[in-house]
Amino acid sequence: MTRRTASALALLATTAALLTACTSEKDQDDSTAPKPGTLRILASSELSDMTAVFDRVRKDTGVTIRPTYMGTLDAVDLLAKGKADGAYDALWLSSDDYLRLRPDAAKKVLSETPVMSSPVAIGVKQATVQALGWKPKEVTWSQIEQAVQDGKLTYGMTDPARSNSGFSTLVSVASALSGAQSALTDADVAKATPRLKKFFKGQKLTSGSSGWLASAYKRRGNVDALLNYESVLKGIPGLTVIRPKDGVVTADYPLSSLTASDARTREDVRKVTEDLRTTTVQQLITDTTHRRPVVASVAPASGLDTSRRRELPFPGSRSVADGLLDSYENELRRPSRTVYVLDTSGSMKGDRLAALKKSLTDLTGDFHEREEVTLMAFGSDVKSVRRHVVDPKDPKTGLDAIRRDTEALDADGNTAIYTSLEKAYDHLGAGRDTFTSIVLMTDGENTAGAKAGDFDDFYRRLTGTRRDTPVFPIVFGDSDRSELAHIADLTGGRLFDAQKGSLDGAFEEIRGYQ
Amino acid sequence: MAAVVAGRQGEDKGTATKTVRGVIGSEKADFFADPDVVKALAAKGFTVKAEASGSWAMDGLDLKGYDFTFPSSKAPADQLAAKYHVQEPLPRPFYSPLVVLAHHNAVDVLAANGLATLDGKSRGTLKMGAYLDAARHNRTWQQLKGASGHGELTGTLYIASTDPETSNSGALYLAAASYVANGGKVAAGKADIDRTAPLLHQLVSVQGAQQSSTDAVFRDFISGAGNPPVLVYESQVASLLAEQQPSSDTDDLVVLYPDTTVNSDHTVVPLDANGRALGELLSTDPTLRKLAVRHGFRPQGDAGEFVAATKDRTAYLNQKLTGVRQAPVPTSAVLHEMARRARG
Repeated sequence: MTRRTASALALLATTAALLTACTSEKDQDDSTAPKPGTLRILASSELSDMTAVFDRVRKDTGVTIRPTYMGTLDAVDLLAKGKADGAYDALWLSSDDYLRLRPDAAKKVLSETPVMSSPVAIGVKQATVQALGWKPKEVTWSQIEQAVQDGKLTYGMTDPARSNSGFSTLVSVASALSGAQSALTDADVAKATPRLKKFFKGQKLTSGSSGWLASAYKRRGNVDALLNYESVLKGIPGLTVIRPKDGVVTADYPLSSLTASDARTREDVRKVTEDLRTTTVQQLITDTTHRRPVVASVAPASGLDTSRRRELPFPGSRSVADGLLDSYENELRRPSRTVYVLDTSGSMKGDRLAALKKSLTDLTGDFHEREEVTLMAFGSDVKSVRRHVVDPKDPKTGLDAIRRDTEALDADGNTAIYTSLEKAYDHLGAGRDTFTSIVLMTDGENTAGAKAGDFDDFYRRLTGTRRDTPVFPIVFGDSDRSELAHIADLTGGRLFDAQKGSLDGAFEEIRGYQ
Repeated sequence: MAAVVAGRQGEDKGTATKTVRGVIGSEKADFFADPDVVKALAAKGFTVKAEASGSWAMDGLDLKGYDFTFPSSKAPADQLAAKYHVQEPLPRPFYSPLVVLAHHNAVDVLAANGLATLDGKSRGTLKMGAYLDAARHNRTWQQLKGASGHGELTGTLYIASTDPETSNSGALYLAAASYVANGGKVAAGKADIDRTAPLLHQLVSVQGAQQSSTDAVFRDFISGAGNPPVLVYESQVASLLAEQQPSSDTDDLVVLYPDTTVNSDHTVVPLDANGRALGELLSTDPTLRKLAVRHGFRPQGDAGEFVAATKDRTAYLNQKLTGVRQAPVPTSAVLHEMARRARG
C-alpha cells in the first residue's frame, strides 16, 4: 500500500512538473495547485460519469470541481498519512465505510454529506436470464452461486484493491455467502472461504476501472454478467440489472470536507454540497447517472426498481476488511498469469533501464500468491524468458528470483516488438484457469523482426483463450503512441502512459487489470 | 412577512451584517440553509456560515475563527464550554426526541412479536425492554413470526444508529439503552458501565461500519439504502413530512417513539459575543422559533408552538410525547467510556 501511494503521488508530481515546464496556459490545468473557486477533489473513479452535474454545479455556484480519481484504499491511505493535507480540498468517495475503519484517516474528515446512492447489483445478459429461468426480482446470491457452480454463469468485476465498486461487490458476496447474520467477522470469512473460492471461479474478467470492464465485456462476448454498482450496470446496454433479494451493500457518495482545509475552501464545499442536494440537481443526478436521490421529493429515475432490499452491514473493523481483501487476492480469486515483454534494446541504456529495474523490483511487493510472472527481455529478438511462480508455501523464493532476473537485465540491440509479442503468445500457450495478460514496455519504435501487419495476421489467427489475452502497452521514452494504441485496440488491452506519468505508476496501474 | 423581506441582505443597507461562523450538528444544516432562515437572520443583522460536524467530533476541531458551535446535545456542549471557558448557561433554542423510523413490514413484525405497539397506522411505541432483550439474545428477523414473507427482513434485528464516539444520536442511543438495562437508573460509575457494556457492545457491533452523522443515516433511509429501522431525530421526520406531499413513500413510513428515549437538546456554545447573540436570537426571535418548528424542532419553553404547527402530521407524530419517558443522560465522561467500549 505504501509503495502504491508513493507512486500515485509521484505520478501527480510529474504531471505538475511537466505542465509547469510547458506553457503558462497549461498551468491552469495543474490539478495540484490550489486555486480560488476550484475544488480539488480526491474522488472515486465511478464519479467520472458526473460531468453534466459538475457543469451544472459550476453554473449554480461558480465553483469548479476538479476531480483526481483514485481507488478507495489508496485515497484512505493518502489521508491517513497526511499527504492529502493541502493537496486536496475535499474528498468524494463512493462510500466512507472503509475510511471509518482507519481512525488516522477518519480524523482528517470534517463533515460527510451523502449525495446519492447506488447498490451493488449483478447485470446479466437477457439470454442468460432466460436460460437460467430467473425472475429478476426474486434472484438471491445463493442462486447466483449455484448458476456459477453449474457452469451456467460467468462474470466480470473490478479489482477490489483498486476500485470501490470491486470492494463493495466483494463485501456483498462474502456477507451473503458466509451466511453471517450481522457484520462480518474474521471467523465468518474463514468459514465462507471454500464457498467463495468456488464462486470466484466464475470470474472471467477483472479490471482496474468500471469503464474498461464494460468495454472488455462487450468485446469478449462470452462473459454472461457483470458485478458492479447498479448505476454502472444501467449504463451498459443489454443487461438485466438484478439487486439480489438477500441483500446488497450500497454506496452513498458522501461529499466530505477536510479538517486541513481553510474556511474559504470549506465554504465552497458547503455551497457545492447544498447545490447537490437541491431538487433540480438531484433530478439531474438520477436522470443522467442512474443513481438514486437522497431527497424525498425527487423520485429515482424510471427503471430503478424501488422494492426493498436488506442492507448488508459493512465490516466494522479494519482487520476484517483487510483480511477479506487479502484472502481475495491470495486465495479466492483465480490467479493471474502475465508475460512482461520488456524492451532492453540499446536505447534503454542508462536512466531508462534503471527506471525499469526499479519499477519491476518495486512491483514484486505487490505480486500475489499463486501468481505466475514471466519476464521476457528483448532487443533484436527475444533475449531471455524467465518464468516464476509465487508459491503460497514459499513466496519469497519466487519473488527473490524475479528481483534477481530484473537486476540482470542488460541493454543492447534493436527493437523487435512484434516478434517478441508473438513469442509471448506462444509462451502462454493454451489457457489455464487464470487471468492471462501481456504487458509490453518499450521505449522505441519497432526496428527489427516481424512488422505490424504480420502481428495483425498472427493475432487474428489466434483462437480460444489466447485470443482473449490482452496486451497492455506502456508508452515510455520515444515509443510510438499510435503503434502501441493499435496493439491495445487489436488485442482488447488498454494503453498506459509513462511519458506523462511515471513508469512505476503505469506498472502499478496495470495491476488492477491482471 | 413584510419585515422579513425588508431585512433581506443588500436591500436593508441600514443594518450592518455580521458574518457569524459556526460548526453545527448535521441535522441542522437544512435549517441554516433555508432561505427564510437566512432572511430572518439577515433581518437581525446576521449572516451565518455553518459547517456540519459530528457533535462529539467538534472537540477535535481547530475552532479558531469560529463564533459558535451548535452540537446536538448538552453533554458535548458542556464539554466544549469547559474547554473554551464559555460562561453557562448556554442557549438551548430547541430540542428533539430520538425516534425510530421504519417501514410497515418491519413494524408489523415488531408489533406481532411484542416489541412495539401501534397507536395508528403510522405511529407507535417501541418497547425498549423487549427490544433490548431480543438484542441480548441475538434475535434474527427470521426468528420473529411474520417476517418470512419479506425478503428484506433477514439477518440480525437491530436499529441502525450513528457512531457513538463521534455522533450525538448514536451516543444518546446508548444513554437510553443503558438507562433501561440499568433498571431505570442513569449509569453513573464503573460498575454501571461494566454491567451494561456487553449489551451496548452487542447493539453496536452487529451494525459493522456506522455512519458518522444522523443526517447520513436519514438520507440512506430516504434513498432506500441502509438498514431500517433507523434511529434519527424526530425533527428530521417532522421536517420530511412537512416538505412531502402524501405519497407512497410517506405512506410507508412509521414513526416509533421508544418508550424510554432521550431528548437531544440542541445547544449553542458561543465562542464570542456574536455567537452568544446568535444563540439568544435563535431562542427568542418569534420568526426563527417558527422556522425551527418548520424544520421539525421543538422550541424550548412552549410546547404549544410545535403542537399547533404539526397538527396536520399527528398521524405520525406523538405531539405531546404521551407515554414516552425521558432518560437522563450520563455525564460526558461516562458516556464517552460507554461509547468506547461499545465500539471496541
